Amino acid sequence: MSAYDERSWTGRVRRRAVAALPPEKLLPDEQPAYVASWIYVFGVLSLASLAVLIGSGTILALKGPGWWHFTGAGHFFNSIHLWAVELFFFCMVVHLWGKYWMAAWRGGRARVWMTGAVVFLVAIPCALTGYVSQQNFDAQWISTQAKDAMNSAGIGAFFNLLNFGQMYSYHVFLLPLAVVALVVAHVLLVRRHGVVPPFRVSEDDS
Amino acid sequence: MIRRGRLARLRRSDDGYREWHGAYRSYDLVKEACVALGVILALCVVLSILFSSPDAKPSTIKQWARADPVDFVTTATTELDGSSGTGGYGPPYNHASDGQHMWFIHLQKWFGVSHPVNSAQDFVLAPLRAISGEPALQSAVTSYESAAAKQQAAWTTAYEKGLAKASVGTGETISVPGSGYGPLPTMMGALLSFAQAGGLDGALLTSRQFYQTDYTKPLLFMADGSVLSDRAQAEHLLGTQWGMMNETGSYPGQVWLWLYTFWYQIKPFSTSANADILVMAVMGALSLALLLIPFIPVVRDMPRWIPVHRLIWREHYRLTERR
Amino acid sequence: MAAVFDLNHHASYVHWHFFQMSVSNLLVIVAMIVVFAVAILAPFPGGKRKS
Repeated sequence: MSAYDERSWTGRVRRRAVAALPPEKLLPDEQPAYVASWIYVFGVLSLASLAVLIGSGTILALKGPGWWHFTGAGHFFNSIHLWAVELFFFCMVVHLWGKYWMAAWRGGRARVWMTGAVVFLVAIPCALTGYVSQQNFDAQWISTQAKDAMNSAGIGAFFNLLNFGQMYSYHVFLLPLAVVALVVAHVLLVRRHGVVPPFRVSEDDS
Repeated sequence: MIRRGRLARLRRSDDGYREWHGAYRSYDLVKEACVALGVILALCVVLSILFSSPDAKPSTIKQWARADPVDFVTTATTELDGSSGTGGYGPPYNHASDGQHMWFIHLQKWFGVSHPVNSAQDFVLAPLRAISGEPALQSAVTSYESAAAKQQAAWTTAYEKGLAKASVGTGETISVPGSGYGPLPTMMGALLSFAQAGGLDGALLTSRQFYQTDYTKPLLFMADGSVLSDRAQAEHLLGTQWGMMNETGSYPGQVWLWLYTFWYQIKPFSTSANADILVMAVMGALSLALLLIPFIPVVRDMPRWIPVHRLIWREHYRLTERR
Repeated sequence: MAAVFDLNHHASYVHWHFFQMSVSNLLVIVAMIVVFAVAILAPFPGGKRKS
């Protein structure tokens, strides 16, 4: 430890971070022996789907919102983006089912469950803003219908589904930022607390 | 005393799951992530090549006015007298009603009119005023605007009754039988021509400044008619058709919205004027419950009682029991 | 780029009382349940163990 660490904010942040997540916990090369089921791959498959979503979304954003209507390449990347959404929700829900039946919140892991649930709940409006940014009939119908739900709860006063510019901004930047931030928190909490151990064979509270 | 003891036992039991002190196995996290990325990317590429993605072209006011001029003029007339969906909506568009509420909670009203839309001015009168070189039209608009409210209502009510028996003539014009409509036939004839030429699509969009990204007005206007809902019904997208989950064509849609759309199909939601706020409240509560599952008795205990986990960890239990 | 299978035709729907769902959506839900079942039942290759 250097002479400056005692007073340094940076030193304190670094010590706390390294204490919570030492390198061997952040990037382990071993895992508990009970992690031996295909159900465990659905977390990383959800992450991979999110990566493909962001990658294809970045390409669509590079060329602007009208590109995919007029070129084959644009339509292809839009298709990648759509199927990545379907796979993202597919894998996320299978992952959620698995984690529920494992009661993966045990042993102080409630925040892992909660951050995961919030990811799911934030991904839904993120998808909605995407659907209403498509600039086609789908966008026209979904926005004019969903506006009633938003308006009924007062949300429509500051979140206007019929405003393409606003919805595109939420979809391309604000909500993906929120999803990624929550996913990072979720994954770091998993790394910190480890994968939940199996139920003991005899439970002393049953 | 007994409850405290049980809670303490539960806490101790839960503490026992914090750390794993048993056997480990080798694991390549980075390789697993790369393989997962490769698998998902390959799946997305294959699905895109096989099925592509839907892109049903948007409707325009021009198309609407040409394909169904009677519906267009009927909708425009209801905008003029405020009896349209937008005209009577309430916040955030206008003060015509208080909007939806749940018990004493009037969120729609409390958040106020943040996107003001005057259906008569914005959809009919202002676009007509913008048409130059038509003195007869401007005279008709002046005559309507200067008439008493009771006279205006008499004209629009009579015209709406006549429109129910209207027919489409040559050049996509309409012919409304009967009389007593005042300046409305002149006004609506001009609005219809303007719309059929594409002028109304632009006029409703560029009403505040040159650069536009806000489609509130043209979308509200189209949604008040049947141009969007007719297409939606054909594509099985109406609320009563569980449409929230569906996509145009045969594409899979938003399967994750199944529970959200379910409530709209059953009473009391299906017959309530406040269905939207009620469903939002139910789904809000259920979302909170999803978040708080670790703390909800019975729900958090079901994984213990229904041992799906015995299948997931069967190898672990086999080895433990052997020992 | 045209798709191999054109899904732009009208979907088929299954009806049961007030419940209705497109065949495409039903296939997705069935696939999720099948994948979940296979994931928890299929044997998983063992790795190198350390105690």
